[in-house]
Amino acid sequence: MTHSEENFQEKLIEFEARIARGEKIEPGDWMPERYRKQLIRMISQHAHSEIVGMLPEGAWIPHAPNLRRKMVLLAKVQDEGGHGQYLYHAAETLGATREEMTEALLDGRAKYASVFNYPTLTWADNAAIGWLVDGAAIMNQTMLAQCSYGPYSRAMVRICAEEGFHKKQGQEMVIQYAQGTLKQQAMMQDAINRWWWPTLMMFGPHDSESKNTPELQRWGIKTKTNDELRQEFIDEMVPALHALNLTIPDPELHYDEASGHWISGEIDWDEFWRVVKGAGPLNKERLAARRKAHEDGRWVREAAAAYAANMTNS
Amino acid sequence: MNDTQWPRYEVFQQDKPDKPHRNIGTVHAPDAEMALQNARDVYGRRPENYNLWVVPSEQIFSKTAEEMTLDPGWANETVPEEGTAVPFAVFTKSSYRRAMTHVQYVGEVAAKTAVSAMQKAIATYTEGDPFIWWICPLYAITRTQENDIESMFAPAHDKLYRLPNQYRTVAAMRKIKRESGEQ
Repeated sequence: MTHSEENFQEKLIEFEARIARGEKIEPGDWMPERYRKQLIRMISQHAHSEIVGMLPEGAWIPHAPNLRRKMVLLAKVQDEGGHGQYLYHAAETLGATREEMTEALLDGRAKYASVFNYPTLTWADNAAIGWLVDGAAIMNQTMLAQCSYGPYSRAMVRICAEEGFHKKQGQEMVIQYAQGTLKQQAMMQDAINRWWWPTLMMFGPHDSESKNTPELQRWGIKTKTNDELRQEFIDEMVPALHALNLTIPDPELHYDEASGHWISGEIDWDEFWRVVKGAGPLNKERLAARRKAHEDGRWVREAAAAYAANMTNS
Repeated sequence: MNDTQWPRYEVFQQDKPDKPHRNIGTVHAPDAEMALQNARDVYGRRPENYNLWVVPSEQIFSKTAEEMTLDPGWANETVPEEGTAVPFAVFTKSSYRRAMTHVQYVGEVAAKTAVSAMQKAIATYTEGDPFIWWICPLYAITRTQENDIESMFAPAHDKLYRLPNQYRTVAAMRKIKRESGEQ
């Protein structure tokens, strides 16, 4: 071993010992390059998901059925925008720049949660997104709030605290529509039918296919696997949806007495990879909407910069 | 300056008049005034807001305990004889337990350079065994003023629908399960 390799091994041992003691790694602290890269990858994808995640529900703000629902939805979509900002900030503490991340999103290189590439066809989709999609996101984010990197963990604590309302406003609507008129019930069931599988896909590929998981677990970034989190979600949601007389679009779904778990049928992994790779129902439209928003906002950024320059010079 | 990469400002939020300012993240902005406005929009959507500070990130000098162990020579510098000492704000982090808290404001020191201010800060603010220290010259801080508080922070107090405890979903589910059990 050369001197620098020995030095690296020593630092790595101390780094892993800090994580094992439950300490947080903070900006300025030594970290392996792989840890930094993995975090930038995860956090920037997470940030992009919050930003693109504003679009499916944002489209319904002008069509909310009453003023309260409109205010709630506005507040929720604003929160998602804010969450994107918390996360871009966390990635920046690792050396990523806002510019690189924005460009990667706009030119289509960056990944974001595939679930946002599905369309919101009726108002009930906002109910399903709130309870299912935000519910699934909270499970993942509650785990990440424990993660070993200080800025990511703090962003997650803040996001989880705020997302509680997102999930509950969705659940409140699902309860209301499931007990409403026959038309409302049918609309709610249709939304659950379309959002169930994309939500299960949010947890990512099976553990056996997830090449990043072991390293992420060793370094305290993730403490649970994709399949563990997905199972927790299924076990929580199935009885709740059944209690509301809503059915789940999975003929193979059954309760396993021995393990105490609800066992799901297999996810359509061809569809999963198709959407990840950009051929989902709305991938092109989502990116086009982001690009348009960026272009439409250009004059505001230019005006603000000109004003700031003017104030500095005068 | 590219239009997606304005300078970064560190944001410090004070929840209540008797609580210290805590670092909660950053915003990008063309100037300090816009930075305060952005900070309010990004970090002030909930009622827990009394006052905000923003500081250009480049004005922050930071050290972690680990950085200083790995680079013991960090404090080697010659402090110039001439010039006057200026006040620096000091922020520390001293607990892994409080998950939301990064560095928070603990007080001030006066020094001619950032390195010497950092040394004074480390010697002065020892309570709780801090392991992260930030300092910045006081003049670098832009603060929300007394008469901004109403317009910037009061509206969040009326938007109770942003709080999860405003939704009675747990009771509703319990009632539905009980009624379906009775049938």
